[in-house]
Amino acid sequence: MRIRFKLDGQDVEVDVKHTDTLLKVLKDKIGVGSVNFGCGEGSCGACMVLINGRLRYSCLTLAGYVDGKEVTTVAGLARDGELSEIQKAFLENDAAQCGYCTPGMILTAKVLLEKNPTPSDEELFDALAGNLCRCTGYIPIINAIKSVAKR
Amino acid sequence: MSLIASGYLTPANVQEVVSLKRKLRDKALVVAGGTAAVQLISKMIIEPQAIISLEKVPLNYVKIRANSIEIGATTPIARLIRSRGLPDALKRAAESIHGLALKDMATVGGNIFTPAPAGDIATALLALDAILILRGGGGVRSVPLSKFYKGPLQFNIRPDEILTAVKINKPPKHSAFLKQTPWKYSGPTIASVSVSLDLDRNGKARRAMVALGGLTTHPYRAKKVEKMFTGKKLTEQLIDGAAQQLTDGVEVIDDALASSWYRRELAQVLFKRILYDFISRG
Ligand SMILES: Cc1cc2nc3c(=O)[nH]c(=O)nc-3n(C[C@H](O)[C@H](O)[C@H](O)COP(=O)(O)OP(=O)(O)OC[C@H]3O[C@@H](n4cnc5c(N)ncnc54)[C@H](O)[C@@H]3O)c2cc1C
Ligand code: FES
Ligand code: FES
Repeated sequence: MRIRFKLDGQDVEVDVKHTDTLLKVLKDKIGVGSVNFGCGEGSCGACMVLINGRLRYSCLTLAGYVDGKEVTTVAGLARDGELSEIQKAFLENDAAQCGYCTPGMILTAKVLLEKNPTPSDEELFDALAGNLCRCTGYIPIINAIKSVAKR
Repeated sequence: MSLIASGYLTPANVQEVVSLKRKLRDKALVVAGGTAAVQLISKMIIEPQAIISLEKVPLNYVKIRANSIEIGATTPIARLIRSRGLPDALKRAAESIHGLALKDMATVGGNIFTPAPAGDIATALLALDAILILRGGGGVRSVPLSKFYKGPLQFNIRPDEILTAVKINKPPKHSAFLKQTPWKYSGPTIASVSVSLDLDRNGKARRAMVALGGLTTHPYRAKKVEKMFTGKKLTEQLIDGAAQQLTDGVEVIDDALASSWYRRELAQVLFKRILYDFISRG
């Protein structure tokens, strides 16, 4: 079947099977670099995208679901070559080492701050519970998100 | 149903779902939030000929009435947290599902079908004596959640039926839910306990419902404990005695996450925490 959707602002059209996951289609068929495959079972958050503004695991979403919708990856947060505030905060706080978790971390942070601009530590940890980082020890990530929350 | 030839079906309402189910039966996989269902496909456990996605079916709602609560099957867990007037047990169970994305994707209906270590919402609903509303070729059927689980992954649902809603009649006055995971902010449920209580004027239990999750494939009610409580005033002695009976005659899961001994002990601890807290508040 053929699906059409907006990917980071651009129209795309691609042939998929009804059983294909969105992650597979983004990575293997379209060659997107701004989503990662970690576990394929909802445990790591490396594959996160926004679908019509809502946070989704692309490994747990079937490709057919995004037909006619808007998919945003972390790359789509930049405007005219300028990084968004949350992306800059990750840079400034050294919140990415290998960077594998970074797409999911930034998208989760964005959605959290939209809902709750001044999260407590408890709320931050709870929101990020679906995102694993094996490098930073989380502290720089928390600092980056808090630095945006404060502004 | 524009994509009917494609295998990815997006019926617009329950009638359309039912007519697809009548035609396709178990050849099609129903997908709500997809958090469990999509893994069945990506791990090649099943290879459905078609997907029936519930994304367009209007079953995302919470209706609070004077003496009952109705929750649509595709209501995401996140909505339970935002809704006012839901029993504490259900709210706590919803909050206990970790991470923003999962809370927004996972649905109440999907949780009822998903085996341990999932089923937290199902455990709370079981303690609230919830009733499932099923729709199929033969019309509407109500099945108490306590009669829904027939065995591991075996449900009291027909091949042409779907779950459309869960209903709680006469929501109990007091309810609670506690679970234990290996880490504070995430991880699978090792054990969970949910208790609902109605007391009479003298502080005696008119109705007591106790559900245990994580110990068996699907949650179960500790009927023996409920009988011990009914008509009695809750005391530490009664609670301690009841705790011993929680897993009586139950074959508790024993796996890499925790031994069955540990799960049994843990269930008792969670149960006592809930009830000690309850009696300490009078
Ligand atoms: C990383 C991760 C962590 C998790 N943590 C928890 C946790 O802490 N606690 C917990 O309880 N669960 C947990 N889960 C499990 C998750 O909450 C449940 O899988 C979820 O509630 C299922 O809902 P869903 O809408 O995604 O169901 P789906 O995956 O869409 O469906 C699950 C099953 O139910 C069937 N189904 C769904 N809706 C209907 C319907 N209306 N009628 C008939 N059949 C239907 C589907 O056919 C499928 O077989 C976790 C899952 C993941 C991936
Ligand atoms: S790849 Fe999707 S959560 Fe790990
Ligand atoms: S920076 Fe490497 S996993 Fe987070």
